[in-house]
Amino acid sequence: MTTCSAAEAHYHLLILLTNKGVVSLMKMTKIYEGTHEWIMYGRDEHKPQNIIDTNQYIVRTPNRCLILEPGGIELFAPMLAAVLHHAPVEEITDLFASHQDPDIISSLGLWDQALPKAKLHAPAIWEGFLRHFGCETIEYVPIPDNGGTIRLETVELQIIPAHYLHSSANFHIYDPKAKILMSGDVGAALEQPGAPVFVDNFEAHVEKMRYFHQRWMPSNQAKRNWIERVRELDIDILAPQHGRMFKGEDVRRFLDWFEGLQVGIAV
Amino acid sequence: MKRSHTKSQFVAVASIAAELSAVMDVAKEISLAAANAKAIAFRAGEKAKGFQPITDFINELAKDTIQLVNAINEHALSLYQLTVDEYRMTEANERFEFAAHLAKGAKYESSLYPVHQQVQQRMQICLSQFNVHIAQLLDQLAEVMHPARAARVIAANSRIEASQAGEYLQSLQAVAESVDNAAQVIHDNVQRCRSALSFINFVD
Ligand SMILES: [Fe+2]
Ligand SMILES: [Fe+2]
Repeated sequence: MTTCSAAEAHYHLLILLTNKGVVSLMKMTKIYEGTHEWIMYGRDEHKPQNIIDTNQYIVRTPNRCLILEPGGIELFAPMLAAVLHHAPVEEITDLFASHQDPDIISSLGLWDQALPKAKLHAPAIWEGFLRHFGCETIEYVPIPDNGGTIRLETVELQIIPAHYLHSSANFHIYDPKAKILMSGDVGAALEQPGAPVFVDNFEAHVEKMRYFHQRWMPSNQAKRNWIERVRELDIDILAPQHGRMFKGEDVRRFLDWFEGLQVGIAV
Repeated sequence: MKRSHTKSQFVAVASIAAELSAVMDVAKEISLAAANAKAIAFRAGEKAKGFQPITDFINELAKDTIQLVNAINEHALSLYQLTVDEYRMTEANERFEFAAHLAKGAKYESSLYPVHQQVQQRMQICLSQFNVHIAQLLDQLAEVMHPARAARVIAANSRIEASQAGEYLQSLQAVAESVDNAAQVIHDNVQRCRSALSFINFVD
């Protein structure tokens, strides 16, 4: 892939021949390049149908690599193969799971085979649950309710609490240098395969997010608390785990829209 | 090894557990029959003199069977754990193989080789452990067949002894009958266990 500036990220297709002769596409997009890099992986066309499409992210420093939301078990092989374009296995030292959902981290048991010396940063109260996916060699680093930091060489990432959005213990990752907030399921949209990676028409995009947020996010109070916290941060890119990323003004538009949205509509 | 094969292992190991618990029930029945026979023989006194040592023997056989089945149950449990491990490793190996395939041409492709190799080794270890355990389990099952066979011989003897027990003939014959039946059931169940096992006893 070619190098892109943070402002204008290009995306590229990794075209691979699978053992069934099917072409598998994992889109790789560099969304930040500076002292370190952020790469987004998504739109896995190899994934079986009926499995929700997810975005995975890595933060790459000279000698280390952190995978954010490593993904479901079905995604393990394409994800590992894609990361190998940017980091060797032994430099994948850290994993982060914003919460316990299978689309976030059911691949854990396989990463556990691949990365015996790695750490998994995940909510403390989900530990006993997440270990069901298999976590024998990877070190579980429990994140306390008030968050914390993840240090990768000279890069310090902030772990931002996002509880009840939608999971009871839930965190996002903020990189003050790259000005990226990886926001888990917040900002998620259900997209058609092959959709662009950035929102280009916010008004049109809203409809792809509305029901998801109304139904999946349980608490207006939690939502307000998060918005307050996140408005303090200087954000260039809001990077959710499903659907397109938000850039520049669309970040503020998203926060305003989310603020006005009534959530928890199922009761 | 194919994954469908591993799935049938789960079924086989589970069905062994079910057969074994049936064997256990029957062994307990024999034990009860032995106690019954002992009481009858005691009441029959002289008439059932030849029957008394037989009841002790039946009781011993029942105890042996129960003990063996307990040991086998423990073994079957660890076999189940091994099946789980092996299933996981086989599955992992398939995923790594796929990853290796997809990673062709990636800048750091070669960094996957040692990891993939380790996964393959772990899977091989699981497989060979699994085979060792299956072989041991087959031996143990063969052992359970011995008391069951002996019980059938004893049942035949019991019938002869019962014929001399006068008015106790019927009740002692019934004892002999139930021991014989029980031994037959155990024999059949264990046989099914063995064929279930030999079905999954593979050489990689
Ligand atoms: Fe989720
Ligand atoms: Fe999700």
